Amino acid sequence: MARKNYLFLIATIAVTDFKLKYDNSFLGYFWSLLKPLLIFGTLYLVFSVFTRWDVENYKLYLLLGIVLWSFLAEVTLNSMVLLQGKASVLKKVYFPRWVIVISSSLVSLSTLFLNIIIFLFFFIISGAHFDFSALLLVIFVFELYILSVGLAFLLCALFPKFRDVYHTWEVFVQLGFWVTPIVYPISIVPVKYHTMIFLNPVARIIQGSREAVIGSVGEFSSFGNHAIIICISVSLLAIGLGLFNKLSRSFAEDL
Amino acid sequence: MIHFDQVNKVFYLPHERKVTLRQRFVSVFQKNTYEKFYALLKICLSVKRGECLGVIGRNGSGKSTLLKLIAKVLEPTSGKIIINGEVAPFLELGVGFQGDLTVRDNIFLYGALLGMGRKQVVDKYDWIIEFSALGKFVDAKLKHLSSGMQVRLAFSITVSIESPILLVDEVLAVGDIDFQQKCYNVFEQFKQIGKTIVFVSHDLGAIEKFCDRVILLENGQIKAQGYPRDILDIYRKASSDPVI
Repeated sequence: MARKNYLFLIATIAVTDFKLKYDNSFLGYFWSLLKPLLIFGTLYLVFSVFTRWDVENYKLYLLLGIVLWSFLAEVTLNSMVLLQGKASVLKKVYFPRWVIVISSSLVSLSTLFLNIIIFLFFFIISGAHFDFSALLLVIFVFELYILSVGLAFLLCALFPKFRDVYHTWEVFVQLGFWVTPIVYPISIVPVKYHTMIFLNPVARIIQGSREAVIGSVGEFSSFGNHAIIICISVSLLAIGLGLFNKLSRSFAEDL
Repeated sequence: MIHFDQVNKVFYLPHERKVTLRQRFVSVFQKNTYEKFYALLKICLSVKRGECLGVIGRNGSGKSTLLKLIAKVLEPTSGKIIINGEVAPFLELGVGFQGDLTVRDNIFLYGALLGMGRKQVVDKYDWIIEFSALGKFVDAKLKHLSSGMQVRLAFSITVSIESPILLVDEVLAVGDIDFQQKCYNVFEQFKQIGKTIVFVSHDLGAIEKFCDRVILLENGQIKAQGYPRDILDIYRKASSDPVI
């Protein structure tokens, strides 16, 4: 296959996946927006009515966290689903296997953009103060993308040989959601655990995004924080790609 | 064009396939038993440009594995494969089709999967519709078409690829007589413009008619090769013998 045709293939698989996902459903594409909103609504109800955190603009704080975390969860899980779904094709036709992972990530990226638009809507009606530092969000999203795709490659490389990877990762995503300060503010966590929590690059990305968009620029907007995130993300991507490249050769036999 | 040098393809058939971690952990203490199955053994083969090579043999003799190696879907266990030029795989027509999408969408999807670019698909679009005679159904969902129509569509898309090498795996068995005739005409044309074709079939009549050379596979090895008539004779004779 000519190299320039990969782009067309990636786009076509992504569009197909997007169409099929919401085919035959009444609300169609709105589901991709509704899902994080429903999670948001539930958690907001529980954590602002039943208990209260002392967080300024908690609504925005929570929503941004959920939107970013959902992206990571979607990219990693859906890429494995798509790989499985395309098994029959992979057994018969040759094209580079990374195409599948990238397509899947683009579908999730489009959902992320729509979700960010919804977030902006909430941002405006909440009357929060807009600062140009909010544009830093683009950098954080980029970092999150690299991190998620790296993870997706790693998981997809192992998935055909060990199907457990999917289920294990599903649990990890759930666990990660609560270990990362998404619902609660970091201030309620004892200081001695902070180092551990921020070993997780996603926690850094989410905190950084919040500082950039909602609060004031603080420690997670620093160059050092970006450097740490990028180091982790790029190494993960390198490991993921390396492993994927090696193991994808036998996908036609393993899937 | 296509060159195989001492190619082996081994499948490891575990006596019990272990897919989950638990199965693997448990099996650490047991001896991992598997059989080495030589799907292809020491295959040396050259196909020249413009040649039409027929491949025959019993079920499980390695015909499809051979095509998959040419199509790069499988990697050889050992040996060297050199292929000059792009390959259009005809393996199992319609394998990437999505029943919930329209015929139009499926043409783009299938084209993309087979390695075409957007412009190529757009250019060939009208030809594909005409050749498959599905003009009325462009906006219908694919699942509402009969299976014969779906295969016609897949075939039409595949032949519209302008690649110099064509792999054909038992595809002409489907479709009605009109369409089969159409297919044969296309193959005739392809031969004339010098495409290289590797043709796997149980339809010995078609093999004799189209192929310049035939190889007979048996248990992963090339048992005989040469002119179609001679090889078909050997094959027929072998087939009438009781299966060992």
